Amino acid sequence: MKVPDSKGYFGRFGGKFMPETLVFCLAQLEKHYRKIRTSRKFRQELGYYLKEYVGRPSPLTHAVRLSGQLGMKIYLKREDLLHTGAHKINNTVGQALLARYMGKKRIIAETGAGQHGVATATVAALFGMECDVFMGEEDIRRQRMNVFRMQTLGARVIPVSSGTRTLKDACSEALRDWVSRVKDTYYLLGSVIGPHPYPMMVRDFQSVIGQEAKRQFRQKEKRLPDYLVACVGGGSNAIGLFYPFFNDKKIKFIGVEAAGEGFFKNSHHSASLVRGRIGILHGTKSFLLQDAYGQISEAHSVAPGLDYPGVGPEHAYYQQIKRAHYVAVNDAQAIEGFKLLSLCEGIIPALESSHAVYYLNIMAKKKANRNKKVILCLSGRGDKDLEIVQEWIR
Amino acid sequence: MDTLKKKFQKLATQHRKAFIPYIPFGFPTLSLSRQIIKTLDSCGVDVIELGMPFSDPVADGPIIQKASVTALNRGVTLKLLLENVRQLKKIVSTPIIILTYYNPVYRYGLNRFFTDCAKSGVSGVMVVDLPIEEAKEYVMCARARKIDTIFFVTPTTDTVRAKKIIKMSRGFIYYVSVAGITGPKTIVMKPLLDHLSLMKKISHLPVCVGFGIHSRQQVRTITRQSDGVIVGSAVVDYIERHYRQPDFLKKFSAYIKQFYV
Repeated sequence: MKVPDSKGYFGRFGGKFMPETLVFCLAQLEKHYRKIRTSRKFRQELGYYLKEYVGRPSPLTHAVRLSGQLGMKIYLKREDLLHTGAHKINNTVGQALLARYMGKKRIIAETGAGQHGVATATVAALFGMECDVFMGEEDIRRQRMNVFRMQTLGARVIPVSSGTRTLKDACSEALRDWVSRVKDTYYLLGSVIGPHPYPMMVRDFQSVIGQEAKRQFRQKEKRLPDYLVACVGGGSNAIGLFYPFFNDKKIKFIGVEAAGEGFFKNSHHSASLVRGRIGILHGTKSFLLQDAYGQISEAHSVAPGLDYPGVGPEHAYYQQIKRAHYVAVNDAQAIEGFKLLSLCEGIIPALESSHAVYYLNIMAKKKANRNKKVILCLSGRGDKDLEIVQEWIR
Repeated sequence: MDTLKKKFQKLATQHRKAFIPYIPFGFPTLSLSRQIIKTLDSCGVDVIELGMPFSDPVADGPIIQKASVTALNRGVTLKLLLENVRQLKKIVSTPIIILTYYNPVYRYGLNRFFTDCAKSGVSGVMVVDLPIEEAKEYVMCARARKIDTIFFVTPTTDTVRAKKIIKMSRGFIYYVSVAGITGPKTIVMKPLLDHLSLMKKISHLPVCVGFGIHSRQQVRTITRQSDGVIVGSAVVDYIERHYRQPDFLKKFSAYIKQFYV
């Protein structure tokens, strides 16, 4: 079955739960996207920027010492080596080209930690577009450097003071802005969340990760891997890795969510798939962190990019049909993963990716996993997180 | 029941327009919000639009966002709201409609929600982030309990789609004055009135206009081409700024009445 269907559903998840004003914009967006996605000119242009500007293909590095230590053969898909230091740019280049094709002069985006904001500000500068990034006040305080990076790139960073003052509120505020300026504005959403066609479109642009990894792995190993492992917040890097392998049924997908402070009464985490319940937020039906009355709860993770109270509908679907298995790793374990990869391989991973790195430890404990071949999506580099880790260690 | 239909028929025979204030339930406090509903009833508004606050109101401006937070902090839930409406309906004769976002309703369960709406005497429901494509089951449940489903038409809705929306609507059509979020704003009247005259041609249901309306002058102009107006943020803002004062309810009553045309 091909997902999503024409209404934007991945099984029972997804859809377009949006105020009527935006229905027209979403329809326009989908129409334009469907038209260009197969156009030769667009594909060439996207290919050009991915190669010459973003720095693709990213290497698939054999993590030799880590493999030795864990008794598995581990390859890292190096999204950390891309321009701006994370996989987010794959999507922003694609969508910015689409925005340009649609004749939009202004781009808006939401950002949590600032990675998607930086990736958006970057392409806005590249294509000479006006750029406003919505960011929660709380996040602005925590991520001063990324705020300055965006400003340096010519973007305006607009503080969001509503709700929990974090990513979900930034997302709401971006939607509010879009509703008010639909004519000239393109909303560049950063993950596989939101109303259709965003989850599909972002997945398509991120699928370059899995396509390359598949080709590279075949070259090196003359076969396919046993496991794909990636961290899941909204889930864009994970779906980008998983999706091109969807039909290779023998390969197991593991999505690693953030268990934050752990699963105790009143503790905070971001594990929507592992611990959430089905609901509707920001236009899509998926698993959410919410109370018994349908009010959205606050998400937490030491990795700023994972603290969103929802998750992409395609992941909810993969979980439902048991195509992928979702697990959760807590803050302290993620820090362990951060140190592990830094010391073993000389690669400082983003705290988001560190969740996935730590999970390798758990996999390695199973005898059946001995000598299994694994691709781990190293979604970003960890320079941005040094301050957080420093504070944590203290 | 069909109270909205009767209400609008009565208004039509009297050549009057509907005045529909919006208030979020539980704002500024639970007990004051009950008193506000009684006051609105006694000062003769035509329909009361009662908001069930949501933690992430994407279509609302700062005034309603802030009021929603206040109300949620008071412990407002859909269950509590419906229980209160049931009590209030014993003395309040004005039709009450509920406005909310989809997640609280989804969590509550569609069947249970409409069953309880019917028990409480709710006349109609509108859900901001539920476009008609997603509303099939919702409409079926509502019809079974004879609760009116009010949908939105906006300046970005084309005529073909507007006709589909009208088909799925009962009670009235909520026409959104400008593409944007709730909150007082200057409304450019010419395009709005043009849209409204087109809507009047294709809609067999009454058309009421909301979003941005905050002055008597706007109400006067807009009711020339519509069957009523909804005033939300302006009312909420008035409550926020005056509820601590003595004779608040009396002043509030006068504030509401100045909108009547």
